[in-house]
Amino acid sequence: MAHATIPYQQVRNDLWRPLAGASKHYTLTLALLSAVALWGLIAWGYQIHVGIGVAGIQRPVFWGFYLVDFVFWIGISHAGTLISAILRLTDADWRKPVTRAAEAITVFALMIGGLFPLIHLGRAWLFYWLFPYPNSRLLWPNYRSPLMWDVTAISTYLTGSVIFLYLPLIPDVAQLAERATGWRLRIYKWLALGWTGSDREWHALERAMKLMAGIILAVAVSVHSVVAWDFSMAIAPMWHSTIFAPYFVVGAIFSGLAGLIVALIIIRRALHLERYLLPHHFQNLAKLLLLMSLLWLYFTFAENLTVWYGNEPKEMNVFGARLRGRFAPEFWLMVFVNFVVPFVLLGIRRLRSITTATIASVGVLLGMWLERYLIIVPTLSLPRLTSAWGRYSPSWVEISITAATFAAMAALYLVFAKLFPIVSIWEFEPHAPEDE
Amino acid sequence: MSLYLTGTFAAKETAIHAIKQLKASGYGPTDLTVFSDEPVEFPRGLLDQPSHMSLAVVSGAAIFFLLVVGFVYFTQYNYPLVTGGMPIFSFWSTGVVFYEMTMLGAILTTLGWFIWESGLLRRDKTIPVPAIQAEAICLRIRCAPEQYEDAASILKQSGAQNVAKLEKAA
Repeated sequence: MAHATIPYQQVRNDLWRPLAGASKHYTLTLALLSAVALWGLIAWGYQIHVGIGVAGIQRPVFWGFYLVDFVFWIGISHAGTLISAILRLTDADWRKPVTRAAEAITVFALMIGGLFPLIHLGRAWLFYWLFPYPNSRLLWPNYRSPLMWDVTAISTYLTGSVIFLYLPLIPDVAQLAERATGWRLRIYKWLALGWTGSDREWHALERAMKLMAGIILAVAVSVHSVVAWDFSMAIAPMWHSTIFAPYFVVGAIFSGLAGLIVALIIIRRALHLERYLLPHHFQNLAKLLLLMSLLWLYFTFAENLTVWYGNEPKEMNVFGARLRGRFAPEFWLMVFVNFVVPFVLLGIRRLRSITTATIASVGVLLGMWLERYLIIVPTLSLPRLTSAWGRYSPSWVEISITAATFAAMAALYLVFAKLFPIVSIWEFEPHAPEDE
Repeated sequence: MSLYLTGTFAAKETAIHAIKQLKASGYGPTDLTVFSDEPVEFPRGLLDQPSHMSLAVVSGAAIFFLLVVGFVYFTQYNYPLVTGGMPIFSFWSTGVVFYEMTMLGAILTTLGWFIWESGLLRRDKTIPVPAIQAEAICLRIRCAPEQYEDAASILKQSGAQNVAKLEKAA
């Protein structure tokens, strides 16, 4: 049966419509999110003014919420890479309406995640010491330090992600420049680089995107491996593990997918893109989330099984605290939301829907944040030297900054969706509404 | 002096036919440019755009790798650290830095080569660019004034919906 497709002009109009004006709801939400983000900035300012002592971190737990947030946000950034790069390389057609939303998540999550080492430094203004510059004492950064690995990995990933987001945006901003006025016209014209839509430009763009997809994929895997090596290079209980790098990469893709599903559902409803973000997109993403949930469970099981079987006393202290001690509620909640919920809601075909995918994704975001917490805090609370054991509880400064980063992420996303089409127009292939 | 004319096609097949006819009449790939609001795939050999982007990207990555290895080697030996005979420079412990900087080289070269190969920033602004209609394929031909009639007739015979002469920008 032949289906009528949505006319191209209507696709353009539908996807350009969210860019015009700002509703009361939009303005109010943006104001609220900005207020929370501003509160986080005030908290950070207070920490800079008074000193890092206002945070809850203290001996022996020197890595608290800030490092948990760092690992979490870097993980979320893997959404764009997986959806866009892997599916672009494999020519999966269904990815087209979701790629830009995913690529934008990568950029913003990296920007936010990259802030945490600075916040954690305490004296953030001395960050430039990490850059190699000639100085009178002939001192250079120590490139053997995992901290320097982080700097190079995250800056490479951020540069690549921005370019990966920008390149497919060029044809769309060139179209936007034709109808924009004022400051928007200036921005769009500048970003369009004089794009005319010639075959030469299209060929170059397609080649560049294929290459970038391969490169960014390799960088993304390396970035979360490097973040994992920040931990596993230390001979600390339950950190010194050879599978930490792939375990972190799997966890990152898992949380990134969950973040993407939540973002797409909000966009779909807020921008009325029901004709473009179809149930089958969410079905496919939900299946991927389920697959990642099973992979995550496998890695978690393998990691814990080897520790338990080895029965090394220092490791068993941390293992016991996680599974049946003071961190047990967080651990079992993590297993519940990361495995049980997705397995039931997404594994049973009858239950799989946009609503259940949302519930499972929100659960996974919580679960993956808890996973980062459970990797960092128990090990540092229970170091090898029993006399050095301690406890950690976050201060209001850490909680404020953590909340602010979630608000900042949402606010950045809202602003992006108001400036650029969140669904790539030129990549979008008109489909039959009957197929929905 | 060259002159530019365009033909607008509703279907890819008619555009392919027009390009074949024009090539048979002696027009080269540099005389023919296709404009569209989405990428159009033509059969191999019709309007091929040779590219060296992959080679450039590999070269860019290799240059960045050599530069970063040299730089790290220099910085490690620049400070007179006493190690008691242990190696100061180690590939193993700095391998991540080399890898990331190599990839950065590949990323920046991709962007740079894309801008170069697409001709975006070095486009001759005096050559007219046709306005593209939604879902249409626009073929621009560069020809001598005396060839105008022939080129226009080929376009019309091939099924162009609209044939027009493009004025050069000042």
